[in-house]
Amino acid sequence: MGIRGGSSTFAALGMAVLLTACSSGTDAGDGAAAPQAAETGPVTLQFWCWGAGKKEKVEAFNKAHPNIQVTHTDAGGGTDTATKLLTANRAGNAPDAACLEYQTLPAMIVAGALADISAQTGDVKAAFTPEVWSLTSFDGAVYGVPQDIGPMVFVYNRKRFDELKIEVPKTWKEFAEVAADVRKKDPDAYLATFAPSEFGNFAGLAQQAGSSWWKVQDQTWTVGIADGPSTQVADYWQGLIDKGLVKAEPLLTPEWNSQLNKGNVLSWPSALWGAGVLYGIAEKQAGDWAIAPLPQWTEGDDRVAFQGGSAIVVSKNSKHAQAAATFAKWMNTDKTAYDIQIAEGEYPAALAGQEATSASEPPKLVSGQKDYWQVAAKAAQSTIPHISWGPNVSTAESAFRDATAAAVRDKTPLSEALKKTQQAVVDDMKSTGFKVAGQ
Amino acid sequence: MTRRTGARRGTRAPYLFVAPAVLLFLAFLAIPIAYAVYLSVRGLRLTGGGIFGTRQEVFVGLDNYVRTLTDPEFLAGFGRLALYGLIAVPLTLGLALLFALLLDYAGSRGRRFARTAIFLPYAIPGVTASLLWGFMYLPSTSPFSYLTRELGLGEIPFLGSGAIYPSLANIAIWGGVGFNMIIIYTSLRGIPAELSDAARIDGASEWRIAWHVKIPLVAPALVLTGLFALIGTLQVYGEPTTLKPMTTEISQTWVPLMHIYRDAFTRDDLPLASAASVILAVGTLVVSVVLLKVTQKRAFGGMS
Repeated sequence: MGIRGGSSTFAALGMAVLLTACSSGTDAGDGAAAPQAAETGPVTLQFWCWGAGKKEKVEAFNKAHPNIQVTHTDAGGGTDTATKLLTANRAGNAPDAACLEYQTLPAMIVAGALADISAQTGDVKAAFTPEVWSLTSFDGAVYGVPQDIGPMVFVYNRKRFDELKIEVPKTWKEFAEVAADVRKKDPDAYLATFAPSEFGNFAGLAQQAGSSWWKVQDQTWTVGIADGPSTQVADYWQGLIDKGLVKAEPLLTPEWNSQLNKGNVLSWPSALWGAGVLYGIAEKQAGDWAIAPLPQWTEGDDRVAFQGGSAIVVSKNSKHAQAAATFAKWMNTDKTAYDIQIAEGEYPAALAGQEATSASEPPKLVSGQKDYWQVAAKAAQSTIPHISWGPNVSTAESAFRDATAAAVRDKTPLSEALKKTQQAVVDDMKSTGFKVAGQ
Repeated sequence: MTRRTGARRGTRAPYLFVAPAVLLFLAFLAIPIAYAVYLSVRGLRLTGGGIFGTRQEVFVGLDNYVRTLTDPEFLAGFGRLALYGLIAVPLTLGLALLFALLLDYAGSRGRRFARTAIFLPYAIPGVTASLLWGFMYLPSTSPFSYLTRELGLGEIPFLGSGAIYPSLANIAIWGGVGFNMIIIYTSLRGIPAELSDAARIDGASEWRIAWHVKIPLVAPALVLTGLFALIGTLQVYGEPTTLKPMTTEISQTWVPLMHIYRDAFTRDDLPLASAASVILAVGTLVVSVVLLKVTQKRAFGGMS
């Protein structure tokens, strides 16, 4: 807190105390995944999840299951929940079930935090497409039930597009042309901003271009964060920034929100959950926005990556793995559950949920778009299968954030930032003891 | 008889009285610190088992210390702290001393109001203060940038590369002046009135009285506030962390404590963070002791 009187000489040591309080042996709670034999009386489960509608879903579950009562806690967004779960797992008091973003799963598995629930989930495997199911299953082990998915789409302010008489870009080449057009027609406005810290977004764009950031074979990893397609994507955005066609600045800050509300940010290449996020900051623009397929590198192509999305996992600490698995399955396959999900604008991972969207109203921000769910379904069907994340995504994310922020600030190439990130990731993996190919 | 019980009580009572403090010290300071030191020589390394392998805690010696001390980013954090401290510490103490002297000046009016007004920012939590200033720094929400824009001078880049240090220091100064002023002011009130009166009779101006009588007499308070300010600077965390999402200038490892937080909770490497914490704590202790030793003679030796 800067130069404030309350600090004592030992406050720095206090940090160490804090660290200590959150850590204990690593092997806490082994093998709790075994099915429990005939549990008696109601079981109480702890469940961590963020996002709208989770409380309602949990209440509906509790109503339908008198023998399993679930307590819901919002432990913060995807990154926060993941880090808290790791620490809680080490302390031996992790919740029974939690939501986790797909990209954090490998790190959790390596930390030994998750229970293999393949035995309990065999009956719901068919409720998901193989691509979606592969997001939570690794080598036959199943570490979670997919909850929602975020196929990437182009979220744009249709009203402003119409005002400026511009068309939705179909390719990234057109995107650059439209960006230049916007600058010419309204000097205050930008087609989009490039947010240096958006790791997941950039990863998705790189995957769309054909990059593969992590691959593993026989416990030997290949890291491709600075590979050809990634560098190509970095150079593309570099070009847009250098020509002043997009503004490089952090997302969802008071500054960005204010520009968006003024109609100066015309689009956000993000994912299906984007409309829900924007509604939270620009309620007044409800009905003005729409979604379209994400621009492509090659015309006529339709591949997109997933950005974000989450699964419900069962922690190894849980003494009620059976009940927790039942909960995870119900939350992601039952009609009551996915109806609540759809109403909040989340795109369900389960097939039945995805089909149910066609009869639903679009989310409030895009309420003017009749074919919202059709566009969404098309994006969901065009996702790239077998995306592989690494065991240290959080390290990669933090390295990426700092490197790209520095690149934007110092006007050094983004491709150099990718190389730095790659180096940090490889160094971290090697110091932990992973075998990394070609390094 | 009475002598014996007295003697016995004399041997036991001190331990009894000191026991609560010692127990609390052991439970909440000594043992956790010892555990942090223990943790700092451990490391999470991959062992077999599982499809990707599992990370287990093993002994790694001084590896974490070597990694911390050879990490240019960690050391650069201290450089940034120094730059920040060079702006924040002298200004905070200088302004605090100035305000304290003005309040102490017999002729000043509205003293009670001024004292409360200057102290008030200290009562505002650091995170709230940072957010408040953050909004005043961002171009779209800043009243200052609004004015300069209306005057055709463009926006003020408060969160740009050059201005980030003064901008951050400003938050600390705004919040810290009041507290430091109260300490110095209390110390000023403790000076016997005869001393100033005597100087005044000798024909000294208010400036000379302040410079030659008051300031030397409040030197212990200045050393104390200086020490607080120095330690506070080494522990800067809240303000840059709160402003981080608003600007690309502040990285996740901008200051040492942020670096430690990132290692512990973003990179899930508690041992590495423990090693860095130990280094920071020892460093803080050394700097504090040196500062006290250097200033002790002048500050505390002179008057008593």
